[in-house]
Amino acid sequence: MKKNLFINISVYLVLILFTLIALYPILNVFTISIRPDDKLLSTDLSIIPDKATFRQYVELFTNRPFLLWTWNSLIVSATVTFTGVVLASTAGYALSRYKFVGKQASMLGLLTTQMFPATMLLLPMYIMLIKLELLNSYLGIIIIYSATALPFCVWQMKGYYDTIPHSLEESARIDGCTKWQSFYKIILPLASPALVITALFSFMTAWSEYIVAAQVLQDTSLYTLPLGLKSFESNMSTEWGLYAAASLIVSIPVVILFVILSKWLVSGLTLGSVKG
Amino acid sequence: MVNKFTADILKLLVLIISSVIKGSSNGMKKLFILFLSTLIFVISFSSCSPQKDENELVIWHTMRPEETKVLQSQLVRFMKLNPGIKVHQLFKETEEMRSGFIVAAIGGQGPDLVYGPSDQIGPFEEMKIIKPLEEIFDEEFLSNFNEKGLIYRNGHLWQIADKLGNHLTLVYNKDLVPIPPKTDIELIEIGKKLSIDKNGDGRIDQYGLVWNYTEPYFFIPFLTGYGGWIFDSLAVPTLNSEAMVKGLKFIQSLRDKHKIIPNEADYNVADVLFKEGRAGMIINGDWSWASYGNAGINYGIAPLPIITETGLHCSPMISPKGFSININLDSSKTEKAKLLIEYLMKPENQLEASKAAKTFPTRKELYDDPFIQDDPILTNSRLQIELGTPLPIVTEMRAIWDAMRPSYQAVLGGSITPEKAAAQMQKSAIKKIEELREDFQDPVSGLIIQIMFLLAAAITLFLMRKSIVAFFVNIKKDGFAYLLAMPAVLVMVAVIFYPFFYNIVLSFSNMNLSHINDWTIVGFYQYVKVFQEPQFYEIFLKTILWTSANIFFHVTIGVFLALLLNKNLPGTPLFRTLLILPWAVPQYIVALTWRGMFNYEYGSINLILVKFLSMSPVEWLKSPFEAFVAVIITNVWLGFPFMMIIALGALQSIPAELYEAADIDGAKWYHKLKNITIPLIKPVMIPAITLGVIWTFNNLNVVWLVSNAGEPSDSTHILVSYVYKAAFNMYRYGYAAAFSVILFLILLAFGLTFLRKTKATESVY
Repeated sequence: MKKNLFINISVYLVLILFTLIALYPILNVFTISIRPDDKLLSTDLSIIPDKATFRQYVELFTNRPFLLWTWNSLIVSATVTFTGVVLASTAGYALSRYKFVGKQASMLGLLTTQMFPATMLLLPMYIMLIKLELLNSYLGIIIIYSATALPFCVWQMKGYYDTIPHSLEESARIDGCTKWQSFYKIILPLASPALVITALFSFMTAWSEYIVAAQVLQDTSLYTLPLGLKSFESNMSTEWGLYAAASLIVSIPVVILFVILSKWLVSGLTLGSVKG
Repeated sequence: MVNKFTADILKLLVLIISSVIKGSSNGMKKLFILFLSTLIFVISFSSCSPQKDENELVIWHTMRPEETKVLQSQLVRFMKLNPGIKVHQLFKETEEMRSGFIVAAIGGQGPDLVYGPSDQIGPFEEMKIIKPLEEIFDEEFLSNFNEKGLIYRNGHLWQIADKLGNHLTLVYNKDLVPIPPKTDIELIEIGKKLSIDKNGDGRIDQYGLVWNYTEPYFFIPFLTGYGGWIFDSLAVPTLNSEAMVKGLKFIQSLRDKHKIIPNEADYNVADVLFKEGRAGMIINGDWSWASYGNAGINYGIAPLPIITETGLHCSPMISPKGFSININLDSSKTEKAKLLIEYLMKPENQLEASKAAKTFPTRKELYDDPFIQDDPILTNSRLQIELGTPLPIVTEMRAIWDAMRPSYQAVLGGSITPEKAAAQMQKSAIKKIEELREDFQDPVSGLIIQIMFLLAAAITLFLMRKSIVAFFVNIKKDGFAYLLAMPAVLVMVAVIFYPFFYNIVLSFSNMNLSHINDWTIVGFYQYVKVFQEPQFYEIFLKTILWTSANIFFHVTIGVFLALLLNKNLPGTPLFRTLLILPWAVPQYIVALTWRGMFNYEYGSINLILVKFLSMSPVEWLKSPFEAFVAVIITNVWLGFPFMMIIALGALQSIPAELYEAADIDGAKWYHKLKNITIPLIKPVMIPAITLGVIWTFNNLNVVWLVSNAGEPSDSTHILVSYVYKAAFNMYRYGYAAAFSVILFLILLAFGLTFLRKTKATESVY
């Protein structure tokens, strides 16, 4: 018994240590955001600085188009999430359940998309958007984000479907379901943990992306949050307080999603191999 | 207003989808309709955005906030005067504006006006993406300007400036430095008095002088003070000079002998030290002055001191800032742009900006204005401008900066002598200029490559003939699967595969500064170049080190924590949630935070080391090894939660009976780990590790942001950040494309062997 207690205490100690390490940099951002004098650096180590103030947050919501950026980001991310879930759940299912010509190539293709340095694709992507007249529009950016998020999502959906026994559809088919019904009514609900993860990934891709957005969206009224955030940073004089405050607020939705979904995260993120 | 093209695409989509729906069941129909309506929703949203119209002008600029405010209010007045014209202004960071404008203008788009420092004119003119202005503005208008504000090159006017300056001066805190130093000797004297350890902890906490001494731009005054310059009259670099060596030695002596400047100072550190009143003087540009006033510093401006040995003033670079017009404008829009520039250049408007932001105007009639004459800051600023040296408007400047930076930082890091640094700078500058100017044409091997492409395509088709036949034979049987996979495949082909193949084509081309629009296929030239680059191998090794270190720590920390969490002690869900947070916070935010935490003077890591662990502070970002470690630490922090979650998922799927059986057999914990846990989580971890390796290998963000684009001395680069720098700093698009293809092939080879060796392929396919 004594030995167990000792082990448990040390487990807690280690967990606390790592949690502190995980939290400290984030707390640091918080500290910068409530510093009264808009400074990135300070020798003060305390989490809550002297004369802490929330004026940066007030400034953010009153004098800056922060709500507009948030709304824009929400539209983009929500659409990308929806597209991602629909496309990945169907494609993943096809790859998991059917043998067809080009299947191997597609699986390999999914993996290889991750291998090419993404920044190098910007130039041709940009030229393509100009030709399709999709510059400065959400459609352009939504297509790009969906495509960026898809390979991982398809891969991981496929992995999850693999863990669901084939016999389920077989019996459904015997009971008179069509192929589509057996997928839609039987398998899809069972795959909900993986769907949740796919949604989370698609959302994250769109929510915090900056480089593509900076190239595609030129109009300030279309700005998404990361672009707005970047606008606090100018060549030599960054508004660090605002930047930090906005960073935290940008992170909050993602953090909340992670917290809510953390249970599914463990069961849904299989990356394809635990069989039955 | 949906534009015509999107409308056509929509029609096509509706056609395809309706035909698909006819042949499918009810549920699918619902899903498709839902999908379609979202698409329409999005398109209608995107079309709400103001389309480019005839009467709208867009300005991209690099103005700082107080200048932007003035510009915006002037634009509002302009729009009132000219109700037919709408003007939008958009701030871009200097580098981002340059690369963004180039790409957009080549594509026939981009902002109508660009506003920035004159050095961007070099590449813009060479790429032919801005209009000659002498054809647009009449001579009478132009005669009102100080000639330093009219940027001519090769006989044409490319930019009209409204501000002169962008120059460094000595800014001093009047409370600490009553009279600014006139010479280097006075500077050192005053500096020595001010550099003191106030609280007696053995560390200096007030400095005589600070500045951003990681950037060569801030070194130029010392080079000129010793009588040197970067170019001779033919734009050939002259960096290996006695003046360079002396200038470098002077800075070294300020730090090591006289100890009046801090050990490590980048822009932010210098800025904060001065703002906190912990530095008597700072060398900084006209852009910063207003912020010192706002921070409550009683500051003054003085010209940089004279170097006694030569009797010369330290002469900073001065560069005008002004407007250029996009080449893609038609005549009616050009007319409107002209109207706007003429309005913004009015004397009263220039004066307004001078008053708000302490900038120096270009209209000659303003030079007699009482405000310009009497303002102490502006008078001293003017003095410094007269002592300054104009920034050369040649594209080679970029090569000079890139050549100077690493050696300059290495001297300050103490790893090479000033003499060696000067020689290295010169060599590297010449090499970089050669690369920038390289002009390679080879129609013959170009043709050969094109034939090879065709042959390769034919052979692939031939090899795939069976599959293609099978495809058509089985299309009916597999139709459902194709239908399900098709939308995803289409999107990915459009967005990922098309640019990918485009890049492969570019990798065989000579696309660079001089062939930006008229590039041709030249064969394997760029590949040969990559392999001839001695740095390639060094950086490759470093990339392998970077990837393996990261993955090792990601996996060990991840699995270790997962094992602890899997004990399911009370409270674990809370820990699990908190431990995921590094993954949840956007990378670019934390990367910058970590950079701040690694700071020598202010970073919390050093503060913790000193205060709680009584260790000596580490110069994280100054020496190559420590900087590399710093970047790895950041990335380990960012990446362990992913592996932890994967491992946790795998652990939870291990049946408890296995452990119970092992317990009955009396197995120790390490037996269980070795014989049960590891073999059972391996099949899950292998794909995760594969992905992890690929992501880490190509992780540009973290390296770029934490090390500030490869500092110190370009020694923290991994392959992907190196190629990024080559592409966007030196306009070597063909070379960068070839480099990326090589990166891709390395990863492909790794991926295939790794998956095959670990026999995880069954799960992938």
